[in-house]
Amino acid sequence: MTTQNKIEIGTKEEITWCPGCPNFLVLAAWKNALAKLIKEGYKQEDFVMCTGIGCHPKIYDYLNISGVYGLHGRVLPVCLGMKLGNPNLKALGFSGDGDAYAEGMEHFIHAARYNADITYFVADNQNFALTTGQPTPTSPQGFKSKAEPAGEYNMPLNPVKLALAAGASFIARINPKDLVHSQEIIEKAIKHKGFAFVESVQDCLIFNMNSKDLVPLMYKVDNKDKKKAQELADEWDYDKKDGKIPIGIIYQEEKPILEEKWPQLKKLRESGKGRKSIK
Amino acid sequence: MRLNILIGGKAGQGINKVSQIVSRVLNKIGYYTFNYRDYQSLIRGGHNFNVLSISDKKIGSIESKLDGIIALDDKTIELHKNELKKEGFIIKCGDFCTIGKNVNIAQAGGLIKILGIQKENLIEEIKKEFGDNKEAIAAAEDGYKTKNSKFNLERLKNKIVNKIAIMSGSQGISKGAIDSGINLYLAYPMTPATAVMHELASKQFDNSSGTNLIVFEAENEISVANAGLGASFTGAKVMIGTAGGGFDLMTEALSFQGMAEIPLVVYLASRPGPGTGIPTYSLQDDLDVALRGGHGEFPRIVIAPGDPIECIEKTNEAFYLSEKFNALSIILSDKHLAESEFSTDRKPNKIIDFKITRKVPGEGIVKASSYEHDKFGNTTENSAIAKKNADERLKKYDEIKKDVKKFEMIKIYGNKNAKNLIIGWGSTKTVILDALDAIDGSIENPLKGKYKFLQVLYMKPISDEIKKEIEKASKVILVENNVTGQLGRLIREKTGIAIKNKILKYDGKPFTSDELKEEILKVK
Ligand SMILES: Cc1ncc(C[n+]2csc(CCOP(=O)(O)OP(=O)(O)O)c2C)c(N)n1
Ligand code: SF4
Repeated sequence: MTTQNKIEIGTKEEITWCPGCPNFLVLAAWKNALAKLIKEGYKQEDFVMCTGIGCHPKIYDYLNISGVYGLHGRVLPVCLGMKLGNPNLKALGFSGDGDAYAEGMEHFIHAARYNADITYFVADNQNFALTTGQPTPTSPQGFKSKAEPAGEYNMPLNPVKLALAAGASFIARINPKDLVHSQEIIEKAIKHKGFAFVESVQDCLIFNMNSKDLVPLMYKVDNKDKKKAQELADEWDYDKKDGKIPIGIIYQEEKPILEEKWPQLKKLRESGKGRKSIK
Repeated sequence: MRLNILIGGKAGQGINKVSQIVSRVLNKIGYYTFNYRDYQSLIRGGHNFNVLSISDKKIGSIESKLDGIIALDDKTIELHKNELKKEGFIIKCGDFCTIGKNVNIAQAGGLIKILGIQKENLIEEIKKEFGDNKEAIAAAEDGYKTKNSKFNLERLKNKIVNKIAIMSGSQGISKGAIDSGINLYLAYPMTPATAVMHELASKQFDNSSGTNLIVFEAENEISVANAGLGASFTGAKVMIGTAGGGFDLMTEALSFQGMAEIPLVVYLASRPGPGTGIPTYSLQDDLDVALRGGHGEFPRIVIAPGDPIECIEKTNEAFYLSEKFNALSIILSDKHLAESEFSTDRKPNKIIDFKITRKVPGEGIVKASSYEHDKFGNTTENSAIAKKNADERLKKYDEIKKDVKKFEMIKIYGNKNAKNLIIGWGSTKTVILDALDAIDGSIENPLKGKYKFLQVLYMKPISDEIKKEIEKASKVILVENNVTGQLGRLIREKTGIAIKNKILKYDGKPFTSDELKEEILKVK
């Protein structure tokens, strides 16, 4: 474990994403959002992230906030532990779609159910990019790869529907090419009290250029109604390349968070302290 | 003086209550007890039993022959009558047909009478347990009245009266964790680790522990282990607990611990495997996986206490070492240690008090990574740094090795000059002590006995003294409750010495002291 003192939202680490990878836009949106929140009074040292393993999770090296570079698929348990350890921290999770919906699927459902105050960002490029383009649960039917030369046979999973069913209290989708909108949604997700799920629908320049065709289908929404949210979730099934794809806040609701339910955590919240410093 | 009484019946009939009442009464008048719990993986019905062993001396085992049977159903008699000594007694369920739901209490009353103990002791205990519940008191009195005394267990005048406490290994582990200031216990239910979860959960709203403890049941063991690391990273004192299968699920996270160097204490209570095995029975078969589970090479500490008081002490040491070295500590137990009820009279060592001094999130930027990383915690694939870090992890293990020397890594009992050396660990400790005493009083009378017993408590790092002890002995016998002699293999790996005489038991049941005595005597 190691520590670093200078206050700067980015790092000097060499970025190893492919030139032009949408993850650069995602990083910019995150940096802007965090910088803005810090200006508004959030403390940089109170943010704590956990990233999975994959192309997107390399963001760990590029953000100058505390955090854990975890295991593939296990982002949310680490975030949960961080909140149980010190509920005053702002926990941020970063995963690819393989990380979130394949390896770590069970944690996604339960994190939504626990409703701890965690922001969970999934960069969905509809493939396992870092392992060279195999299909994930959100790859469209017919998606060809070295692992499945005949193409993917299964219908993709709809994570937005799943998040709704699991009880997530904030569900949003972004198009990272719309930097300003993406940044705004990330800020709102962080400010949301409870489990906030933000999915970025993005290309992988090397293994999946699918989302290029999806951008024209995207339109912005800002919804808090559950019934409407279900309709919005159904508008795109992650398979077809026509119809409409809502981006923005698909659902948001206020409900008690895990940290308010446990008296022990409430005590830490009221004191503003973590385990190390509380008496 | 030693008696063994089996209390059997269907799950849910109140077998444990009988053991509990009788043990408490006996402890109060100066007798030691040891209660073995044998139960099946079902909730109601089936056949469960306890064997309550009673002695005027310290004991930690049961014997194979019974002085009495308390049968809450007829099946108990059918199944166990062959174990009953010729002059043994039976208290049948039918003796108290009219009592209704308090049959077990009447039987406890009957047993107290048979043992020849004064009635006041019984009634006092019943009142303590049930308050002024008239039916319970009447049942106990009825039971007492119906039976005749067969033994004469008088109040002993030894010093231990009022100092004996009944404690299970699980209670010891929990106490050690609370003494260490545990903030978070994470688990997913799995016998025989669950008792610690229940014990700690029952204490979490008890402010006297002062640790603001949370017991959290996560969605699976993978989540448990990763959440444990997340919480520890933020400065919480964390323990996670499980049995074999759950431990397997955790191993990737343990390896992550090895790279990220976030302190973590793991409680691993084993049961007979492989697979789901025999969930509610006992085997010491997870030493291997505790030593090696998790990919890659990284330091760890593995400690195996052998009785409830050692559970308190070693859990405290595990917490201390994890925090001091940002290391993984595994406390190894099994069903027999975790769930048997020992009467203990030794005070645990002084609590090692320690504070978290490392920088945690909220105090600045802190990073911990499962990737190989530079000094800021950022990813690196640089070979020079990779080698340097690997060397540092190795060096850390050397430091751990030095530091643990201040703790009891092994214990030696009996005649220090004896040429016959028994080696064992964990839950076999107390049965070995009882067996050696039964042979020639070796433990009680260290100057006279022909045996000594070496108990290994630290499995990793392991003590250099073991080799010296083996070399001094002319006969070495390994006693383990597993199929292949896992400690024996570890000793061979560390010392080059293969122990040929092995007494191994692996039917899911613990050794009885009389059978172990015979086995030891058989070794020529
Ligand atoms: C337990 C485990 N299994 C497999 C891997 C190998 N692995 C590394 S990255 C990755 C895929 C990442 O895909 P995704 O989460 O979609 O992120 P992306 O690379 O597309 O951003 C896999 C399978 C691993 N690191 N750990
Ligand atoms: S492989 Fe795809 S996701 Fe990974 S860096 Fe390159 S473009 Fe980005």
